[in-house]
Amino acid sequence: MFKIFQRLWQVNWAEQWQYRANLIMYLLYWLVSPIIYLAVWTSIANSKGSVNGFTANDFVTYYMTLLVVDQVTSNIVIHTFAYKVQDGTLAGELIRPIHPMLTNALVNNIAFKALTIIGFIPVWIILFFLYKPDYSHLTLTGILVAIPAMIIGFLVGFLLSAAITSLAFWTTRVYSIHEFYYAMILLFSGQFVPLPLMPKLIQDVAQYLPFQLLIYFPIQLILGKLSNAQIVQGYVTGTIWLVVAISVFNWIWRNGVKRFSAVGA
Amino acid sequence: MNTLKLLSAFLKVNIQMSLAYRADTVVNILLNLMWLGWELLTLSIIFNNTETIGGWGFGELIALLGVFRLVHTLMIALIWPNTEKFNQSIRDGSMDYTLLQPINSMFLVTFSRITVWRAWDLILAAVLIVIGINLSGETITSLSIVTFFLLTISGAIVIYSLWIVLIALTFWFTKFDNNVTILQALLDAGRYPVTVYPVWLRILVTFVVPIAVATTVPLQGLRGDLTISRSLLFIAIGIASFLIASQVWKRGLKQYSGASS
Repeated sequence: MFKIFQRLWQVNWAEQWQYRANLIMYLLYWLVSPIIYLAVWTSIANSKGSVNGFTANDFVTYYMTLLVVDQVTSNIVIHTFAYKVQDGTLAGELIRPIHPMLTNALVNNIAFKALTIIGFIPVWIILFFLYKPDYSHLTLTGILVAIPAMIIGFLVGFLLSAAITSLAFWTTRVYSIHEFYYAMILLFSGQFVPLPLMPKLIQDVAQYLPFQLLIYFPIQLILGKLSNAQIVQGYVTGTIWLVVAISVFNWIWRNGVKRFSAVGA
Repeated sequence: MNTLKLLSAFLKVNIQMSLAYRADTVVNILLNLMWLGWELLTLSIIFNNTETIGGWGFGELIALLGVFRLVHTLMIALIWPNTEKFNQSIRDGSMDYTLLQPINSMFLVTFSRITVWRAWDLILAAVLIVIGINLSGETITSLSIVTFFLLTISGAIVIYSLWIVLIALTFWFTKFDNNVTILQALLDAGRYPVTVYPVWLRILVTFVVPIAVATTVPLQGLRGDLTISRSLLFIAIGIASFLIASQVWKRGLKQYSGASS
Protein backbone atom coordinates (compact mmCIF):
# COMPACT_ATOMS: atom_id res chain seq x y z
CA MET A 1 0.00 0.00 0.00
CA PHE A 2 2.80 2.37 0.95
CA LYS A 3 4.51 1.64 -2.36
CA ILE A 4 1.35 2.50 -4.25
CA PHE A 5 1.11 5.87 -2.55
CA GLN A 6 4.79 6.51 -3.14
CA ARG A 7 4.38 5.82 -6.85
CA LEU A 8 1.22 7.92 -7.07
CA TRP A 9 3.06 10.74 -5.35
CA GLN A 10 5.87 10.67 -7.93
CA VAL A 11 3.42 10.66 -10.82
CA ASN A 12 1.23 13.42 -9.42
CA TRP A 13 4.14 15.57 -8.35
CA ALA A 14 5.59 15.36 -11.84
CA GLU A 15 2.19 16.15 -13.31
CA GLN A 16 1.67 19.20 -11.12
CA TRP A 17 5.23 20.36 -11.78
CA GLN A 18 4.31 20.55 -15.46
CA TYR A 19 1.70 23.14 -14.58
CA ARG A 20 3.81 25.30 -12.29
CA ALA A 21 2.93 28.47 -14.22
CA ASN A 22 -0.75 27.68 -13.66
CA LEU A 23 0.02 27.22 -9.98
CA ILE A 24 1.37 30.74 -9.66
CA MET A 25 -1.77 32.09 -11.31
CA TYR A 26 -3.93 29.95 -9.06
CA LEU A 27 -2.05 31.25 -6.04
CA LEU A 28 -2.65 34.83 -7.11
CA TYR A 29 -6.31 34.12 -7.73
CA TRP A 30 -6.71 32.55 -4.34
CA LEU A 31 -4.80 35.26 -2.44
CA VAL A 32 -6.75 38.24 -3.68
CA SER A 33 -10.01 38.07 -1.73
CA PRO A 34 -8.52 37.53 1.76
CA ILE A 35 -6.16 40.45 1.10
CA ILE A 36 -9.08 42.64 0.04
CA TYR A 37 -11.18 41.68 3.07
CA LEU A 38 -8.15 42.36 5.24
CA ALA A 39 -7.77 45.83 3.72
CA VAL A 40 -11.47 46.63 4.12
CA TRP A 41 -11.72 45.51 7.75
CA THR A 42 -8.45 47.00 8.95
CA SER A 43 -9.46 50.32 7.41
CA ILE A 44 -12.78 50.17 9.29
CA ALA A 45 -11.11 49.10 12.53
CA ASN A 46 -8.55 51.86 12.20
CA SER A 47 -11.18 54.55 11.74
CA LYS A 48 -13.40 53.21 14.54
CA GLY A 49 -10.78 52.02 17.02
CA SER A 50 -12.34 48.56 16.99
CA VAL A 51 -15.20 46.68 15.33
CA ASN A 52 -17.31 44.68 17.76
CA GLY A 53 -14.22 44.14 19.91
CA PHE A 54 -11.94 43.33 16.95
CA THR A 55 -8.94 45.64 16.62
CA ALA A 56 -7.03 46.21 13.39
CA ASN A 57 -4.39 43.75 14.59
CA ASP A 58 -7.07 41.12 15.29
CA PHE A 59 -8.17 41.38 11.67
CA VAL A 60 -4.59 41.23 10.37
CA THR A 61 -3.77 38.12 12.42
CA TYR A 62 -7.12 36.56 11.48
CA TYR A 63 -6.65 36.89 7.73
CA MET A 64 -2.94 36.09 7.79
CA THR A 65 -3.76 32.89 9.68
CA LEU A 66 -6.67 32.26 7.32
CA LEU A 67 -4.27 32.20 4.38
CA VAL A 68 -2.29 29.41 6.04
CA VAL A 69 -5.32 27.41 7.19
CA ASP A 70 -7.12 27.70 3.85
CA GLN A 71 -3.96 26.61 2.07
CA VAL A 72 -4.03 23.39 4.12
CA THR A 73 -7.75 22.64 4.18
CA SER A 74 -8.92 23.62 0.68
CA ASN A 75 -8.99 21.23 -2.28
CA ILE A 76 -9.41 21.30 -6.05
CA VAL A 77 -11.01 17.92 -6.58
CA ILE A 78 -13.95 19.30 -8.59
CA HIS A 79 -11.53 20.71 -11.17
CA THR A 80 -9.36 17.63 -11.44
CA PHE A 81 -11.96 14.89 -11.32
CA ALA A 82 -15.43 15.85 -12.62
CA TYR A 83 -14.29 16.02 -16.24
CA LYS A 84 -12.95 12.46 -16.04
CA VAL A 85 -16.47 11.23 -15.40
CA GLN A 86 -17.82 13.39 -18.19
CA ASP A 87 -15.35 12.47 -20.91
CA GLY A 88 -15.01 8.85 -19.85
CA THR A 89 -11.29 8.83 -19.00
CA LEU A 90 -12.29 7.56 -15.57
CA ALA A 91 -12.80 4.13 -17.17
CA GLY A 92 -9.05 3.60 -17.29
CA GLU A 93 -8.71 4.34 -13.59
CA LEU A 94 -11.63 2.18 -12.56
CA ILE A 95 -10.02 -1.01 -13.80
CA ARG A 96 -7.05 -0.46 -11.51
CA PRO A 97 -7.28 -2.21 -8.14
CA ILE A 98 -7.12 1.10 -6.21
CA HIS A 99 -9.80 3.65 -5.41
CA PRO A 100 -9.56 6.47 -7.99
CA MET A 101 -10.77 9.14 -5.58
CA LEU A 102 -9.25 8.07 -2.28
CA THR A 103 -5.81 7.31 -3.66
CA ASN A 104 -5.05 9.05 -6.95
CA ALA A 105 -7.19 12.16 -6.58
CA LEU A 106 -6.23 12.54 -2.94
CA VAL A 107 -2.50 12.32 -3.66
CA ASN A 108 -2.96 14.65 -6.61
CA ASN A 109 -4.51 17.26 -4.31
CA ILE A 110 -1.73 16.91 -1.78
CA ALA A 111 0.95 17.23 -4.47
CA PHE A 112 -0.83 20.34 -5.73
CA LYS A 113 -0.80 21.78 -2.21
CA ALA A 114 2.84 20.92 -1.62
CA LEU A 115 3.76 22.80 -4.79
CA THR A 116 1.60 25.86 -4.12
CA ILE A 117 3.09 26.08 -0.62
CA ILE A 118 6.50 26.64 -2.23
CA GLY A 119 5.08 29.73 -3.91
CA PHE A 120 2.93 30.65 -0.94
CA ILE A 121 5.70 30.93 1.68
CA PRO A 122 7.55 33.89 0.13
CA VAL A 123 4.25 35.68 -0.54
CA TRP A 124 3.20 35.18 3.06
CA ILE A 125 6.52 36.54 4.30
CA ILE A 126 6.13 39.65 2.12
CA LEU A 127 2.62 40.17 3.46
CA PHE A 128 3.97 39.68 6.97
CA PHE A 129 6.35 42.58 6.49
CA LEU A 130 3.68 44.71 4.83
CA TYR A 131 1.10 44.23 7.59
CA LYS A 132 3.32 43.40 10.58
CA PRO A 133 0.77 41.26 12.46
CA ASP A 134 1.38 41.06 16.19
CA TYR A 135 1.52 37.33 16.85
CA SER A 136 2.86 37.67 20.42
CA HIS A 137 -0.15 35.80 21.86
CA LEU A 138 0.60 32.72 19.83
CA THR A 139 1.48 29.61 21.83
CA LEU A 140 3.07 26.34 20.75
CA THR A 141 0.21 24.38 22.33
CA GLY A 142 -2.28 26.41 20.28
CA ILE A 143 -0.50 25.49 17.06
CA LEU A 144 -0.08 21.84 18.06
CA VAL A 145 -3.77 21.55 18.97
CA ALA A 146 -4.69 23.11 15.61
CA ILE A 147 -2.76 20.62 13.46
CA PRO A 148 -5.14 17.65 13.89
CA ALA A 149 -8.05 20.09 13.43
CA MET A 150 -6.61 21.21 10.09
CA ILE A 151 -6.19 17.59 9.01
CA ILE A 152 -9.81 16.86 9.98
CA GLY A 153 -10.82 20.06 8.17
CA PHE A 154 -8.98 18.99 5.02
CA LEU A 155 -10.46 15.47 5.12
CA VAL A 156 -14.02 16.67 5.71
CA GLY A 157 -13.66 19.27 2.95
CA PHE A 158 -12.08 16.77 0.57
CA LEU A 159 -14.73 14.11 1.17
CA LEU A 160 -17.61 16.55 0.81
CA SER A 161 -16.12 17.97 -2.40
CA ALA A 162 -15.48 14.43 -3.59
CA ALA A 163 -19.11 13.52 -2.85
CA ILE A 164 -20.33 16.54 -4.81
CA THR A 165 -17.89 15.81 -7.64
CA SER A 166 -19.26 12.26 -7.77
CA LEU A 167 -22.68 13.70 -8.59
CA ALA A 168 -21.14 14.01 -12.06
CA PHE A 169 -22.23 10.38 -12.48
CA TRP A 170 -25.81 11.64 -12.57
CA THR A 171 -25.76 15.19 -13.86
CA THR A 172 -23.69 17.41 -16.12
CA ARG A 173 -24.57 20.37 -13.91
CA VAL A 174 -22.17 19.30 -11.20
CA TYR A 175 -20.24 22.57 -11.52
CA SER A 176 -23.35 24.56 -10.67
CA ILE A 177 -23.97 22.37 -7.61
CA HIS A 178 -20.39 22.92 -6.59
CA GLU A 179 -20.80 26.69 -7.00
CA PHE A 180 -23.70 26.53 -4.55
CA TYR A 181 -21.58 24.46 -2.14
CA TYR A 182 -18.81 27.05 -2.43
CA ALA A 183 -21.27 29.82 -1.54
CA MET A 184 -22.18 27.83 1.57
CA ILE A 185 -18.49 27.72 2.49
CA LEU A 186 -18.25 31.49 2.13
CA LEU A 187 -21.36 31.98 4.21
CA PHE A 188 -20.65 29.62 7.10
CA SER A 189 -16.87 29.13 7.28
CA GLY A 190 -15.64 32.53 8.42
CA GLN A 191 -13.92 33.21 5.09
CA PHE A 192 -15.38 36.69 4.70
CA VAL A 193 -15.26 37.87 8.32
CA PRO A 194 -14.65 36.23 11.68
CA LEU A 195 -17.95 34.48 12.45
CA PRO A 196 -18.87 36.74 15.43
CA LEU A 197 -19.36 39.57 12.92
CA MET A 198 -21.84 37.57 10.85
CA PRO A 199 -25.59 37.90 11.56
CA LYS A 200 -26.69 36.00 14.71
CA LEU A 201 -28.70 33.41 12.79
CA ILE A 202 -25.74 32.47 10.60
CA GLN A 203 -23.47 32.13 13.63
CA ASP A 204 -25.95 29.86 15.39
CA VAL A 205 -26.33 27.58 12.38
CA ALA A 206 -22.64 27.69 11.48
CA GLN A 207 -21.42 25.93 14.62
CA TYR A 208 -23.34 22.78 13.69
CA LEU A 209 -22.26 22.80 10.03
CA PRO A 210 -19.03 21.34 8.66
CA PHE A 211 -17.88 24.54 6.94
CA GLN A 212 -16.35 26.26 9.98
CA LEU A 213 -14.11 23.20 10.41
CA LEU A 214 -12.31 24.33 7.25
CA ILE A 215 -11.52 27.88 8.32
CA TYR A 216 -12.86 29.33 11.54
CA PHE A 217 -12.21 26.52 14.02
CA PRO A 218 -8.52 25.99 13.11
CA ILE A 219 -7.89 29.75 13.08
CA GLN A 220 -9.37 30.16 16.54
CA LEU A 221 -7.28 27.24 17.77
CA ILE A 222 -4.07 28.70 16.39
CA LEU A 223 -4.83 32.12 17.81
CA GLY A 224 -5.64 30.50 21.17
CA LYS A 225 -9.09 32.07 21.44
CA LEU A 226 -11.05 29.01 22.55
CA SER A 227 -11.78 27.63 26.01
CA ASN A 228 -11.11 23.95 26.70
CA ALA A 229 -14.82 23.18 26.49
CA GLN A 230 -15.04 24.89 23.08
CA ILE A 231 -12.02 22.95 21.85
CA VAL A 232 -13.61 19.67 22.87
CA GLN A 233 -16.91 20.68 21.30
CA GLY A 234 -15.14 21.62 18.06
CA TYR A 235 -13.32 18.31 17.88
CA VAL A 236 -16.52 16.35 18.61
CA THR A 237 -18.31 18.25 15.80
CA GLY A 238 -15.31 17.59 13.55
CA THR A 239 -15.29 13.86 14.25
CA ILE A 240 -19.04 13.55 13.70
CA TRP A 241 -18.81 15.38 10.38
CA LEU A 242 -15.84 13.26 9.35
CA VAL A 243 -17.92 10.11 9.87
CA VAL A 244 -20.87 11.68 8.04
CA ALA A 245 -18.65 12.82 5.16
CA ILE A 246 -17.10 9.35 4.79
CA SER A 247 -20.51 7.65 4.68
CA VAL A 248 -22.07 10.19 2.33
CA PHE A 249 -19.13 10.00 -0.03
CA ASN A 250 -19.09 6.20 0.03
CA TRP A 251 -22.77 5.96 -0.66
CA ILE A 252 -22.73 8.43 -3.56
CA TRP A 253 -19.58 6.91 -5.01
CA ARG A 254 -20.82 3.31 -4.90
CA ASN A 255 -24.12 4.14 -6.54
CA GLY A 256 -22.45 6.46 -9.02
CA VAL A 257 -19.91 3.94 -10.25
CA LYS A 258 -22.73 1.44 -10.84
CA ARG A 259 -24.39 3.94 -13.17
CA PHE A 260 -21.16 4.84 -14.92
CA SER A 261 -20.94 3.91 -18.54
CA ALA A 262 -18.01 5.46 -20.32
CA VAL A 263 -18.42 7.42 -23.52
CA GLY A 264 -18.28 5.07 -26.45
CA ALA A 265 -19.47 2.04 -24.50
CA MET B 1 -22.00 49.20 -41.02
CA ASN B 2 -20.47 45.85 -41.81
CA THR B 3 -19.33 45.63 -38.22
CA LEU B 4 -22.84 46.13 -36.89
CA LYS B 5 -24.25 43.52 -39.27
CA LEU B 6 -21.61 41.07 -38.16
CA LEU B 7 -22.25 41.81 -34.53
CA SER B 8 -25.95 41.11 -34.94
CA ALA B 9 -25.10 37.90 -36.78
CA PHE B 10 -22.83 36.85 -33.90
CA LEU B 11 -25.61 37.64 -31.45
CA LYS B 12 -28.07 35.52 -33.43
CA VAL B 13 -25.73 32.54 -33.52
CA ASN B 14 -24.98 32.87 -29.84
CA ILE B 15 -28.67 33.11 -28.93
CA GLN B 16 -29.30 29.94 -30.91
CA MET B 17 -26.44 28.20 -29.14
CA SER B 18 -27.68 29.20 -25.73
CA LEU B 19 -31.24 28.12 -26.55
CA ALA B 20 -29.91 24.61 -26.75
CA TYR B 21 -29.12 24.84 -23.03
CA ARG B 22 -32.27 26.41 -21.62
CA ALA B 23 -32.21 24.63 -18.27
CA ASP B 24 -28.59 25.64 -17.76
CA THR B 25 -29.56 29.24 -18.35
CA VAL B 26 -32.21 29.05 -15.63
CA VAL B 27 -29.73 27.45 -13.21
CA ASN B 28 -27.15 30.12 -14.02
CA ILE B 29 -29.61 32.94 -13.42
CA LEU B 30 -30.52 31.43 -10.04
CA LEU B 31 -26.85 31.17 -9.11
CA ASN B 32 -26.35 34.73 -10.23
CA LEU B 33 -29.17 35.87 -7.93
CA MET B 34 -27.58 33.87 -5.11
CA TRP B 35 -24.30 35.76 -5.59
CA LEU B 36 -26.17 39.07 -5.66
CA GLY B 37 -27.70 38.11 -2.31
CA TRP B 38 -24.26 37.26 -0.97
CA GLU B 39 -22.82 40.57 -2.18
CA LEU B 40 -25.64 42.53 -0.56
CA LEU B 41 -25.20 40.56 2.67
CA THR B 42 -21.47 41.38 2.79
CA LEU B 43 -22.25 45.06 2.26
CA SER B 44 -24.87 45.03 5.00
CA ILE B 45 -22.41 43.35 7.39
CA ILE B 46 -19.81 46.00 6.61
CA PHE B 47 -22.26 48.85 7.11
CA ASN B 48 -23.62 47.37 10.32
CA ASN B 49 -20.22 48.20 11.74
CA THR B 50 -19.42 51.51 10.10
CA GLU B 51 -21.04 54.41 8.25
CA THR B 52 -18.38 54.85 5.58
CA ILE B 53 -15.50 52.90 4.10
CA GLY B 54 -12.73 54.79 2.36
CA GLY B 55 -14.98 57.85 2.55
CA TRP B 56 -17.87 56.13 0.72
CA GLY B 57 -21.34 55.44 2.11
CA PHE B 58 -23.72 52.48 1.73
CA GLY B 59 -25.55 53.86 -1.31
CA GLU B 60 -22.30 54.58 -3.08
CA LEU B 61 -21.10 51.03 -2.44
CA ILE B 62 -24.33 49.68 -3.95
CA ALA B 63 -23.74 51.85 -7.01
CA LEU B 64 -20.13 50.63 -7.10
CA LEU B 65 -21.42 47.06 -6.98
CA GLY B 66 -23.49 47.92 -10.04
CA VAL B 67 -20.46 49.25 -11.92
CA PHE B 68 -18.42 46.27 -10.75
CA ARG B 69 -21.08 43.96 -12.17
CA LEU B 70 -20.83 45.73 -15.54
CA VAL B 71 -17.11 44.97 -15.68
CA HIS B 72 -17.76 41.47 -14.36
CA THR B 73 -20.26 40.90 -17.16
CA LEU B 74 -17.74 42.14 -19.71
CA MET B 75 -15.40 39.59 -18.21
CA ILE B 76 -17.63 36.53 -18.30
CA ALA B 77 -19.89 37.29 -21.21
CA LEU B 78 -17.13 38.30 -23.62
CA ILE B 79 -13.60 37.87 -22.31
CA TRP B 80 -13.79 34.30 -20.98
CA PRO B 81 -15.60 32.58 -23.84
CA ASN B 82 -13.57 34.33 -26.55
CA THR B 83 -10.28 33.70 -24.81
CA GLU B 84 -11.10 30.04 -24.51
CA LYS B 85 -11.88 29.86 -28.21
CA PHE B 86 -8.81 31.89 -29.08
CA ASN B 87 -6.40 29.74 -27.04
CA GLN B 88 -7.89 26.64 -28.62
CA SER B 89 -7.46 28.14 -32.09
CA ILE B 90 -3.80 28.94 -31.43
CA ARG B 91 -3.16 25.41 -30.22
CA ASP B 92 -4.91 23.58 -33.06
CA GLY B 93 -4.17 26.10 -35.78
CA SER B 94 -7.77 26.99 -36.57
CA MET B 95 -6.65 30.60 -36.14
CA ASP B 96 -5.64 30.29 -39.81
CA TYR B 97 -9.29 30.36 -40.85
CA THR B 98 -10.04 33.39 -38.73
CA LEU B 99 -7.18 35.26 -40.39
CA LEU B 100 -8.44 34.34 -43.85
CA GLN B 101 -11.70 36.21 -43.27
CA PRO B 102 -11.82 39.64 -44.90
CA ILE B 103 -12.61 41.32 -41.58
CA ASN B 104 -10.53 42.88 -38.84
CA SER B 105 -9.15 39.85 -37.03
CA MET B 106 -9.12 41.59 -33.64
CA PHE B 107 -12.83 42.22 -33.89
CA LEU B 108 -13.47 38.68 -35.04
CA VAL B 109 -11.48 37.12 -32.22
CA THR B 110 -12.97 39.26 -29.47
CA PHE B 111 -16.65 39.30 -30.38
CA SER B 112 -17.50 35.96 -31.95
CA ARG B 113 -18.57 34.35 -28.66
CA ILE B 114 -21.06 36.17 -26.46
CA THR B 115 -22.76 34.58 -23.47
CA VAL B 116 -26.09 36.11 -24.33
CA TRP B 117 -28.07 35.44 -21.15
CA ARG B 118 -25.61 37.61 -19.25
CA ALA B 119 -27.42 40.59 -20.77
CA TRP B 120 -29.79 40.29 -17.84
CA ASP B 121 -26.84 41.02 -15.57
CA LEU B 122 -26.47 44.38 -17.31
CA ILE B 123 -30.04 45.26 -16.39
CA LEU B 124 -29.38 44.21 -12.81
CA ALA B 125 -26.25 46.36 -12.78
CA ALA B 126 -28.18 49.38 -14.06
CA VAL B 127 -30.83 48.87 -11.35
CA LEU B 128 -28.12 48.67 -8.66
CA ILE B 129 -26.50 51.87 -9.95
CA VAL B 130 -29.79 53.80 -9.94
CA ILE B 131 -30.82 52.53 -6.48
CA GLY B 132 -27.35 53.17 -5.09
CA ILE B 133 -27.23 56.73 -6.35
CA ASN B 134 -30.67 57.42 -4.91
CA LEU B 135 -29.70 55.98 -1.52
CA SER B 136 -26.49 57.97 -1.41
CA GLY B 137 -28.36 61.25 -1.84
CA GLU B 138 -25.73 62.62 -4.20
CA THR B 139 -26.74 65.71 -6.09
CA ILE B 140 -26.65 64.66 -9.70
CA THR B 141 -26.05 67.16 -12.47
CA SER B 142 -26.28 66.41 -16.16
CA LEU B 143 -22.52 67.02 -16.32
CA SER B 144 -21.82 64.38 -13.68
CA ILE B 145 -24.01 61.84 -15.48
CA VAL B 146 -22.25 62.46 -18.78
CA THR B 147 -18.88 62.16 -17.03
CA PHE B 148 -20.02 58.92 -15.40
CA PHE B 149 -21.06 57.41 -18.74
CA LEU B 150 -17.91 58.45 -20.54
CA LEU B 151 -15.69 57.19 -17.72
CA THR B 152 -17.56 53.88 -17.55
CA ILE B 153 -17.10 53.36 -21.28
CA SER B 154 -13.44 54.38 -21.27
CA GLY B 155 -12.85 52.17 -18.23
CA ALA B 156 -14.36 49.21 -20.06
CA ILE B 157 -12.16 50.04 -23.06
CA VAL B 158 -9.07 50.02 -20.84
CA ILE B 159 -9.97 46.52 -19.60
CA TYR B 160 -10.75 45.40 -23.16
CA SER B 161 -7.39 46.74 -24.37
CA LEU B 162 -5.46 45.05 -21.60
CA TRP B 163 -7.21 41.84 -22.55
CA ILE B 164 -6.15 42.27 -26.19
CA VAL B 165 -2.55 42.75 -25.12
CA LEU B 166 -2.70 39.69 -22.86
CA ILE B 167 -4.09 37.38 -25.52
CA ALA B 168 -1.79 38.85 -28.17
CA LEU B 169 1.12 37.69 -26.00
CA THR B 170 0.02 34.18 -26.92
CA PHE B 171 1.40 34.82 -30.41
CA TRP B 172 4.87 35.10 -28.90
CA PHE B 173 4.51 32.52 -26.12
CA THR B 174 2.31 29.78 -27.48
CA LYS B 175 2.02 28.01 -24.13
CA PHE B 176 0.72 31.11 -22.40
CA ASP B 177 -2.84 29.91 -21.92
CA ASN B 178 -3.18 31.53 -18.54
CA ASN B 179 -3.38 34.81 -20.37
CA VAL B 180 -6.42 36.27 -18.64
CA THR B 181 -6.08 34.79 -15.16
CA ILE B 182 -4.38 37.90 -13.84
CA LEU B 183 -7.33 40.04 -14.94
CA GLN B 184 -9.74 37.58 -13.43
CA ALA B 185 -7.79 37.32 -10.19
CA LEU B 186 -7.62 41.02 -9.50
CA LEU B 187 -11.17 41.69 -10.63
CA ASP B 188 -12.50 41.21 -7.09
CA ALA B 189 -10.57 44.29 -6.02
CA GLY B 190 -13.16 46.29 -7.97
CA ARG B 191 -15.87 45.60 -5.39
CA TYR B 192 -14.60 48.25 -3.00
CA PRO B 193 -13.39 51.82 -3.58
CA VAL B 194 -9.59 51.86 -4.03
CA THR B 195 -9.35 54.49 -1.32
CA VAL B 196 -9.74 51.60 1.18
CA TYR B 197 -6.63 49.80 -0.01
CA PRO B 198 -3.04 50.24 1.14
CA VAL B 199 -0.86 52.16 -1.30
CA TRP B 200 0.84 49.16 -2.94
CA LEU B 201 -2.51 47.53 -3.72
CA ARG B 202 -3.93 50.82 -4.96
CA ILE B 203 -1.01 51.23 -7.36
CA LEU B 204 -1.39 47.63 -8.52
CA VAL B 205 -5.10 47.91 -9.37
CA THR B 206 -4.83 51.41 -10.84
CA PHE B 207 -1.72 51.26 -12.99
CA VAL B 208 -0.67 47.64 -13.47
CA VAL B 209 -4.02 45.89 -13.83
CA PRO B 210 -6.33 48.89 -14.02
CA ILE B 211 -9.49 47.34 -12.57
CA ALA B 212 -10.03 50.49 -10.52
CA VAL B 213 -10.06 52.68 -13.63
CA ALA B 214 -13.20 50.82 -14.67
CA THR B 215 -14.91 50.67 -11.27
CA THR B 216 -13.86 53.31 -8.76
CA VAL B 217 -13.05 56.06 -11.26
CA PRO B 218 -16.48 56.33 -12.97
CA LEU B 219 -18.17 56.70 -9.60
CA GLN B 220 -15.61 59.27 -8.52
CA GLY B 221 -16.67 61.13 -11.65
CA LEU B 222 -20.28 60.88 -10.59
CA ARG B 223 -19.50 62.05 -7.04
CA GLY B 224 -17.65 65.05 -8.44
CA ASP B 225 -14.34 63.91 -6.92
CA LEU B 226 -12.54 64.43 -10.22
CA THR B 227 -11.68 67.73 -11.85
CA ILE B 228 -12.69 68.07 -15.49
CA SER B 229 -9.09 67.81 -16.67
CA ARG B 230 -8.69 64.59 -14.61
CA SER B 231 -11.80 63.11 -16.22
CA LEU B 232 -10.54 64.08 -19.66
CA LEU B 233 -7.21 62.46 -18.82
CA PHE B 234 -8.93 59.16 -17.99
CA ILE B 235 -10.90 59.30 -21.23
CA ALA B 236 -7.67 59.98 -23.12
CA ILE B 237 -6.09 56.98 -21.40
CA GLY B 238 -9.02 54.87 -22.62
CA ILE B 239 -8.47 55.95 -26.23
CA ALA B 240 -4.69 55.61 -26.00
CA SER B 241 -4.84 52.13 -24.51
CA PHE B 242 -7.10 51.00 -27.35
CA LEU B 243 -4.67 52.35 -29.96
CA ILE B 244 -1.72 50.70 -28.24
CA ALA B 245 -3.60 47.41 -27.96
CA SER B 246 -4.41 47.39 -31.70
CA GLN B 247 -0.74 47.97 -32.48
CA VAL B 248 0.32 45.11 -30.20
CA TRP B 249 -2.26 42.89 -31.85
CA LYS B 250 -0.91 43.73 -35.33
CA ARG B 251 2.66 43.01 -34.26
CA GLY B 252 1.51 39.78 -32.64
CA LEU B 253 -0.21 38.62 -35.81
CA LYS B 254 3.10 38.91 -37.66
CA GLN B 255 4.56 36.42 -35.18
CA TYR B 256 1.83 33.91 -35.84
CA SER B 257 2.90 31.06 -38.06
CA GLY B 258 0.19 28.45 -37.63
CA ALA B 259 0.20 25.42 -35.40
CA SER B 260 1.94 22.91 -37.64
CA SER B 261 4.98 24.87 -38.72
